[in-house]
Amino acid sequence: MRKATAPIVAVIVVGAGLAIFFALRTSPEPVTSTYFLMDTVLTIKTTGGDAASINEHLYALASDVDSMTSYYKSESETVRVNTAAGNGTVSVSPEYAALLKAAVAVEAIDHGSAFDIAISPVSSLWGFTTKEFRVPTAKEILDTLAYSHSDQLVISGTTVQLRDDRARIDLGGIAKGYSLDVMEEYLRTIKPQPRQVIVDFGGNLLLYSRGRKRDWKIGIRDPRGQGIIGYVRSGDAFVATSGDYERYFERDGRRYCHIIDPSTGYPGTLNQSATVITDIQPMHGAIGDALGKIFFCSTAETQRSLFQEVQSQGTVGIVIVDATGTESTLGLITFVSTAAQ
Amino acid sequence: MKRSDRITAVVILTAVALVVVFWIVMHRTPGTLAVVQVDGKVVASVDLTSRDVQTLHITGVLGPLVIVTDGKGSIRVAEATCPDQICVHTVPARSPGDQVICVPNRMVITVEGKGTGIDALAQ
Repeated sequence: MRKATAPIVAVIVVGAGLAIFFALRTSPEPVTSTYFLMDTVLTIKTTGGDAASINEHLYALASDVDSMTSYYKSESETVRVNTAAGNGTVSVSPEYAALLKAAVAVEAIDHGSAFDIAISPVSSLWGFTTKEFRVPTAKEILDTLAYSHSDQLVISGTTVQLRDDRARIDLGGIAKGYSLDVMEEYLRTIKPQPRQVIVDFGGNLLLYSRGRKRDWKIGIRDPRGQGIIGYVRSGDAFVATSGDYERYFERDGRRYCHIIDPSTGYPGTLNQSATVITDIQPMHGAIGDALGKIFFCSTAETQRSLFQEVQSQGTVGIVIVDATGTESTLGLITFVSTAAQ
Repeated sequence: MKRSDRITAVVILTAVALVVVFWIVMHRTPGTLAVVQVDGKVVASVDLTSRDVQTLHITGVLGPLVIVTDGKGSIRVAEATCPDQICVHTVPARSPGDQVICVPNRMVITVEGKGTGIDALAQ
């Protein structure tokens, strides 16, 4: 009797031990949701907590930001401000006024020469708002530039005015980053906290972990080819990238990207991409988004001096791929090139 | 050693071996797979390790799309009914995390699989 039961007992003991081992090491599976918003894709990957409903709520928050800031949706605050251009003041929500003020504050970092929310009449000239692309004449650009500057925008409390009737604002350059701010603010209030959340909004990232414990590995997209050129490591952060490779058109062998340099009225050509990593602080998603455009439209020399200024304000680091395809970094970040591996 | 002890030893070793095999099967790196989604729903999965050139005809929100693989691990959109043709001009997807997106058609191709060790892609 004993002889026959011994192996069976052994199998049961081993099996039970392994079952416990497997059960203990099982981690929650991430839930990934994909949405379409602001003319791009929003992908949310949540691990732990009530992941599916967290994803839905985050999408709803981003959708609200879109309804508020959209350049196209007739009920948005942007459209209300633009429609009233040259025709007195418009009363806006406190959130919208705060976002405008944040945008104007970032513009001030480089005196509006590389980022300007009022450049949109020039973008329209190139066809980026209608997708009927064309290369405007130098005179058209110069004439339009005359009123395509944020000094047309007067903000007083929650009252906003565009002075020239042809002036227009477009918050497309910071709305995605601002959505990440709103999402992060909500994530902090959730109980129990999800283990980690990765929000990818058209390539702009929010990396969030419970207790801010995670060390993230962020791939930098190769602006001219497949895959990545390398990666950087960072704690929880907002990551914004401006590049010339996603939205552009070509005429006579030249590439014209959608990021218009406000100092010239022409698409930026100094760099192929600029990735800005900012720490988790209020509005740093929006600010990082705008800084991406600023660094994208700046020379290496300007980038260095600008970085001195923004480093103390929560910018952790910047990865730049210049027009020749050479990468460089600013700040205390280590870029690991895949070519070096 | 008693006969029953030997049996016990053999049974335990067999159990351990089975678990190891099971473990490896469960945790092997998945073959590179491209997942095609329309409006957030998976409409197709494509094996990128296949040497065959594969052609997929799917329906986006706006109209039909033709997706092709090259038999060497890349996938791209060959034809699409969208005004800007951004998806058709996108560099073919190949590495895990690569995407080809057609916003007007609400279509996303994502290459899945482990290998890069990257948490997220800044682009």
